[in-house]
Amino acid sequence: MCGIIGYNGFREAKNVLIDCLKRLDYRGYDSAGIGIIDDKLQVFKEVGEITHLEKEIPTIRGDIGIGHTRWATHGAVTKENAHPQISPNKKFAVIHNGIIENFKKIKEDLEKKGHTFTSQTDTEVIAHLIEDHYNGSLEEAVFETIKNIQGAYAIVVMCEDEPEKLIGARRESPLIVGVGDNENFIASDIPALLKYTNRVIYLDEGELCVVTKNSINIYDKNKKEIEKKKDIITWDYKDAEKSGFPHFMLKEIFDQPNTINQALRGRISEIGQTINFSEKIEKLLSNDIESINIVACGTSYYSGLVGKYVIEQTCRIPVIVELASEYRFFGTRNKSSLVIAITQSGETSDTLAALREANKSGCKTLAITNVIGSTATRITNGYILTQSGPEIGVAATKTFTSQIIVLLLAALKIASIKKTLSSNDIYYYILRLKELSRQIRLILDESNKIIKISEKIKDSNSIFFIGRGINFPLSLEGALKLKEISYIHAEGFAAGELKHGPFALLTKKTPVVAIVTKDSTYNKLLANIGEIKARGPQVIAIADENDSEIEKHADYVVRYPSNSTLLSCIPITVILQLLAYHVADLRNCPIDKPRNLAKSVTVE
Amino acid sequence: MKCVILAAGEGKRMHPLTFTRPKVMLQIAKRPIIEWNLLNAIDAGLKEFVFVVGYKSEMVRDFFGNGEQWNVSIDYVNQGKALGTAHAIGMVERFVDDFIVLCGDTIFGANDIKNIIKTDNSIGIFEVENAEEYGIVETKDGFLVKIYEKMKKPFSNIINAGMYHFNKEIFNYIKKTNKSPRGEYEITDSINQLSKEKKIKGIFLKEWRDVVYPWHLLDANEEILKKIDRKIEGILEENIIIKGNVTIGKDTIIRSGSYITGPVIIGKNCKIGPNCYIRPHTAIGNNCHIGNACEIKNSIVMDNTNVPHQNYVGDSVIGSNCNLGAGTKIANLRLDKKNINIILNGKKIDTKRRKFGAVIGDNVQTGINSTINVGTTIGNNCFIGQSSSVKGEINSYSKIL
Repeated sequence: MCGIIGYNGFREAKNVLIDCLKRLDYRGYDSAGIGIIDDKLQVFKEVGEITHLEKEIPTIRGDIGIGHTRWATHGAVTKENAHPQISPNKKFAVIHNGIIENFKKIKEDLEKKGHTFTSQTDTEVIAHLIEDHYNGSLEEAVFETIKNIQGAYAIVVMCEDEPEKLIGARRESPLIVGVGDNENFIASDIPALLKYTNRVIYLDEGELCVVTKNSINIYDKNKKEIEKKKDIITWDYKDAEKSGFPHFMLKEIFDQPNTINQALRGRISEIGQTINFSEKIEKLLSNDIESINIVACGTSYYSGLVGKYVIEQTCRIPVIVELASEYRFFGTRNKSSLVIAITQSGETSDTLAALREANKSGCKTLAITNVIGSTATRITNGYILTQSGPEIGVAATKTFTSQIIVLLLAALKIASIKKTLSSNDIYYYILRLKELSRQIRLILDESNKIIKISEKIKDSNSIFFIGRGINFPLSLEGALKLKEISYIHAEGFAAGELKHGPFALLTKKTPVVAIVTKDSTYNKLLANIGEIKARGPQVIAIADENDSEIEKHADYVVRYPSNSTLLSCIPITVILQLLAYHVADLRNCPIDKPRNLAKSVTVE
Repeated sequence: MKCVILAAGEGKRMHPLTFTRPKVMLQIAKRPIIEWNLLNAIDAGLKEFVFVVGYKSEMVRDFFGNGEQWNVSIDYVNQGKALGTAHAIGMVERFVDDFIVLCGDTIFGANDIKNIIKTDNSIGIFEVENAEEYGIVETKDGFLVKIYEKMKKPFSNIINAGMYHFNKEIFNYIKKTNKSPRGEYEITDSINQLSKEKKIKGIFLKEWRDVVYPWHLLDANEEILKKIDRKIEGILEENIIIKGNVTIGKDTIIRSGSYITGPVIIGKNCKIGPNCYIRPHTAIGNNCHIGNACEIKNSIVMDNTNVPHQNYVGDSVIGSNCNLGAGTKIANLRLDKKNINIILNGKKIDTKRRKFGAVIGDNVQTGINSTINVGTTIGNNCFIGQSSSVKGEINSYSKIL
């Protein structure tokens, strides 16, 4: 899982590549490198941050080049293993994102032929193969090479003897072409390019592109030239910058009043008292669904769990939520079941594999994603966009709440089709949904209060989160947010489950965050808090603004505005996000780039 | 000789109109600002153009393509992040030798462009009444001494008009230019450096129309409309009065009882009347509907917008896809006859006009009998409820009920 950029144009390639790499580094960042052709092919690589690489590169002209940020999958984090990888004659340079599954075999075969390798990467074999296949045409050599390799790849290749062109090719890993004026780009992701162009072409499986300064030619896997349409990206590159916040994550948390409205925009009609999707999606949702399988990974999986409660409560059909990496091998496949895949990037490889399995077994599939044109949108029967704009912070925030909103809208749509909710009920939810963005603002205004509580718990070794019903997946999400950015061990539990084991872990030094809603389990939860208090931990309650009891039971209380039980999950999530953020901030953690993590996981 | 037109700016002072289009694509007398410059430059004999684009560049590119329709060649360079005029001009180094630069949001005259083509190393200058907002130019014997950025008390009324004739040398100075106090790379700094070593001729311009704020669109619109001819391609019913120079586009139908006083320009496929009164210096876009008992004066109405029943629109700019409810009226004169102020992005600005109506963005709907006060700005996608009375600055996506 790495970031790739190729540039061919009129600007100094070095500046463009470094600039683009800085925007790609959320994809992985243990080392980076660039290669530029200025008469001769020259390659510069460093371990560590991009700024470090930037300092090490001498002044170099040349307006064609490739750049790469690496997140190690094969071989340790060293300068040798960073990309670009070059061929033995030092004329070919390759950058690669993905994993070549048969690279050991290829390497052995090449070694038998006398090749020696300088790195432990799977990528180096690609450079060697291209040199072997080269016969005066770089694209021919790349075509031959990709026939030899198995696995996932997005590659960009250049050759000293043909300094006018870049070749890009992909299978399973993402790759896009950025269309500029007198310049063109190849990149693994949109934010890398937005500063220079907003016109992109998405490459599909097995396709190959030849990119010069003034032309882009795309070929399918049979070497047949094909026409592809350009998409205009409507995000502004400024959208991808921090706009004054110390971290992208905080910016993205504060963005939620807007992104919630974005997710609702055009989909609710107050006057018609209806939920509206495109005809295709509505058909998919009314397709006599008997049950629903939700597949996802990480935070998206937790939004799926929230979705389960919402759909089951409103539509009265069973929902099975499965981790995509499990479903693809072990999931039950029922043709009358709708498979909903949730993936922010639309490129999460486990989720895509699960979708392909679902397609194979004849299930209808629906993707909920943030990225139009992503693979998930292309391999499903339909997709709903969360419309949250780019999310740069590795910890998902605004995309999580938007995913929940989309699931909720889908649930309400199914419920109105199945008539499990009346139009009055739908109207009730529409009015409550419209309240959400104001309610989030109220919580954001209280951010300082959450800092005070964060100070109390920032030195803990372990923190637990508990909740019942819809709040159970929220406790899981609260714990995930906290552990991924603050490095404090955190776990979420169903409140009723604590006494069946986890109680053994409770000490005075293990704070517990309890999510309390005024529903039928309210008294049971108060009892749970009582049990916890008896063991000595501090209890932080997240409670309804109208809850007058809770102060008697908890040490600290954070309030959220009253809403329907199903919808209060959104304001509660915002509180959990702020808590995780402030704890991590007080601990001086690198919030936007936690160690060992990357934003979109395109390897399995 | 190539002509470089700077067209990358967003035009924040043109909000809300520029939320959905770059500033240079704002229409004056039915053509984008940049097209007027293109036409004038073509008139002056130029054939090869480079547009430096950025903000919503696709709209410029889609409109002009490679320039075939104008029988010229147009090339594009994307500025990326807008870091100032020197940065923008620096972009074209590889594409030009001897070249003319025009600021895309100022309208220049063809004869002035001809004059600047004739003189190597020259800068267009212009005399204005109030020079506070502009770069002040100091000259000696017709040659540039120095350009001073916006001065509180300018010592001269001669300003930098935003039109230049350069050769390759300028790029050396652009590379040496540092960020100005306001954080941009300014071409005026590069020129000041150049002028120390090379003589730069100041060329006085005869025509110059700077378009900064929305009401400047009305000034520019008026100026251009004064030059149009009478050309009627639409369908006219009986009992219509058309006075002066009026242009009416194809498939537009003018219904009985309409009274149109030129100069007025009306686009294609519009429905005008019956019984409406369109007064001088009005430009109406394509697919618009101006209905019964409506009066429009000195205004710009963009494409697909309806002013359908009993409306008054005076000295205003209305975006595209808007619909005014029956009886919606826009005030354009203070009863105390003082200058009209407008609030733009939270800042109060004197328009220096006694008559000014409203600036309305795209996709705005108003209810019946709503009233819009002088100097109101309404953002995109707003909803002004029936009988409401609005004033000041209304943000996009607002609902006034």
